[in-house]
Amino acid sequence: MSLVKKPSGLANWFLPGILLGMLFTLKKMIYNIFHQSKMETLNYPEEKYQYGPRFKGNHVLTVKKDGSLRCTACMLCATNCPAQCIKIHAAEHDDPSVEKFPISYEIDVLRCVFCGFCEEACPVDAIRMGPEWQTAALNGSKFTYDIQQLAYRPQLKGGVVSVLDEAERHKAGI
Amino acid sequence: MPKLKINGKEVEVPQGSTIIQAFKAAGTDICHYCWHPGLSVAGVCRLCMVQIEGMPKLQIACNTEVKEGMVVNNQSEMVKETVRWGLDFHLINHPLDCPICDQAGECGLQDQYMQFGKYDPEMAEPKVKKHKVVDLGPTVMLDTERCILCSRCVRFTDEVSKTNELGIFNRGDRSEIGTVQGKPLDNNYSLNTVDICPVGALTSKDFRFRQRVWYLKEADSICPGCSTGCNVKVHYNEEGLWRVKPRENKDVNGYWMCDVGRDTYKFVNLKARLLSGKVGKRGSWQEVEVADAARSAGLKLRETPAEGIALVVTGQYTNEEYKALFDLFSGALKSKNIYHWQNNPEKVNEFDGLLFRGDRNPNTKGLQAAMGTFGRWEDLQSGLASKKIKTVLVAGPENQATFPDLKEKITLLAQAQSLIWLTAGHNEALDQSGADTWQIPLKTYIEKAGSFTNHAGKVQSFKAGTTIVPQALTLTEASEIFAGRDLDWNLRPRGLGGPKVNYTTGQRGTL
Repeated sequence: MSLVKKPSGLANWFLPGILLGMLFTLKKMIYNIFHQSKMETLNYPEEKYQYGPRFKGNHVLTVKKDGSLRCTACMLCATNCPAQCIKIHAAEHDDPSVEKFPISYEIDVLRCVFCGFCEEACPVDAIRMGPEWQTAALNGSKFTYDIQQLAYRPQLKGGVVSVLDEAERHKAGI
Repeated sequence: MPKLKINGKEVEVPQGSTIIQAFKAAGTDICHYCWHPGLSVAGVCRLCMVQIEGMPKLQIACNTEVKEGMVVNNQSEMVKETVRWGLDFHLINHPLDCPICDQAGECGLQDQYMQFGKYDPEMAEPKVKKHKVVDLGPTVMLDTERCILCSRCVRFTDEVSKTNELGIFNRGDRSEIGTVQGKPLDNNYSLNTVDICPVGALTSKDFRFRQRVWYLKEADSICPGCSTGCNVKVHYNEEGLWRVKPRENKDVNGYWMCDVGRDTYKFVNLKARLLSGKVGKRGSWQEVEVADAARSAGLKLRETPAEGIALVVTGQYTNEEYKALFDLFSGALKSKNIYHWQNNPEKVNEFDGLLFRGDRNPNTKGLQAAMGTFGRWEDLQSGLASKKIKTVLVAGPENQATFPDLKEKITLLAQAQSLIWLTAGHNEALDQSGADTWQIPLKTYIEKAGSFTNHAGKVQSFKAGTTIVPQALTLTEASEIFAGRDLDWNLRPRGLGGPKVNYTTGQRGTL
């Protein structure tokens, strides 16, 4: 049998608890003032944390050497995506050596869970998870990234070139 | 009937069968590319290797006849090794195109590699490059790099369609599939070559890049394209139907179907459909609930005296629907004015020798059997002209593309005071009708269960596959409502989920 103990009248008297807490804060503050190098926090907008190279941030669609999109619209990323936030429309390219390309490629970043499965599924190094993690926007509808945003946003300075080049592979006889 | 043992399992097959047929009869997996049950034996892929007791070397199962007491297996290490390295040979010059290739997901090479292959390739030489994205004709695209030269398509054009367009050109590892001097592959059966291609060398232009096959589900059905009644499977997803493929039935269509029949998915999709009831006449249309439209149409039918009603039927509906409709008409409405609308009377008996028939209705035979005798069109015409016939009920065409006289007939039938048109697809000519018109949406062949009687009198039943327009009625349901009874509207099927969209984005507000 469990008994519910009613708090005693002493608990209603909250001032000691508050004072104890303030004392702890004061102690930490004085300690931090004299040991600034050991401080755990950053002065955020001025200082920014650098994540490791394997950090999974915002998606980047890579480009070929000529600047066109590397993606072949095979839909493996969309198939593998657990959040189902990738939506691709494939189309036939005028250039027969390209054959198939995405006419639209959208990622709903607010649904994305940043698991990186799209990156893993991609057979041609067309999608990567980049280092960017500060993604603010003025309103919710700005969070559906299209090709322009994913491949050619200003931060990428013209686009990230894919390591896998079809023309080179063709020449090498693969 | 010789008996033989396949992997320890005893099977009995007809005299003259090959070992691969015995494998199929036993339901045992065997690796093969070039053999197809509907084509001659070529024996070029060398993958259906089996070990026969008493023979020192392996034999190909597709070209070895069975003998009484044969003991065959394809499970021994020797067979497995042979198949594995046979696959390696096939893949020497095969490009790594899977991301672009439409066949991925239903590809023989992918499946067989996972089932029988799983080796590390030992080829160090560069791949032989061939032609890609070759436009073969109005329906088919060719990629010669992906081709493994199983020659199924060549044999198909030789033996089945007998048009002989395709051939293998050049020699050795430079052999390619192609047509003579760029002559197009243009016959009514060309897309069968895409079906039988075990790799992605031949792809359908109509389906190319539109969907990945693993997003599609299958449903068995009967092709409503003509009176042959080919057995088909329909591939669909939440956005609608995407393609129609043949299903094996030796009594009707063998393994094939025509290209015209493959278009029968188009009139089913939302774009072509009538989505709600429409009541009114030219310039004054009102979209109403299907139930309300059907109820008011039924009221009109019951108000009109029996001699003032006429029913026009097309051969596009199932036997069950005809029964319900005729029961309503000759029973509850007591009318005998039933007319058969044959879309192309001069071509009805045409036949191309393989599958395609001039009668572009799946169930003309069933309609004739259900009704027996019909009224003559002249009577209908004179009745309409003299205003004797006031209300016309039309079970209109489901596949409007096969009715070249559609506009003509609409103008003719719109002479009546009121016109009740049951149809699956929307039609502009009907919107211009001068009569009081009810347009009531009907279901198409893939959305309902029933049976079609084909040209030879064979009754083939089919199940409902998916529902595209949930509010649409079948002819049976419409007859129920016309007779004054009501349906259980809570039991309607669920419609399509629609295309996958990043759905919340529109509702996230703006600043």
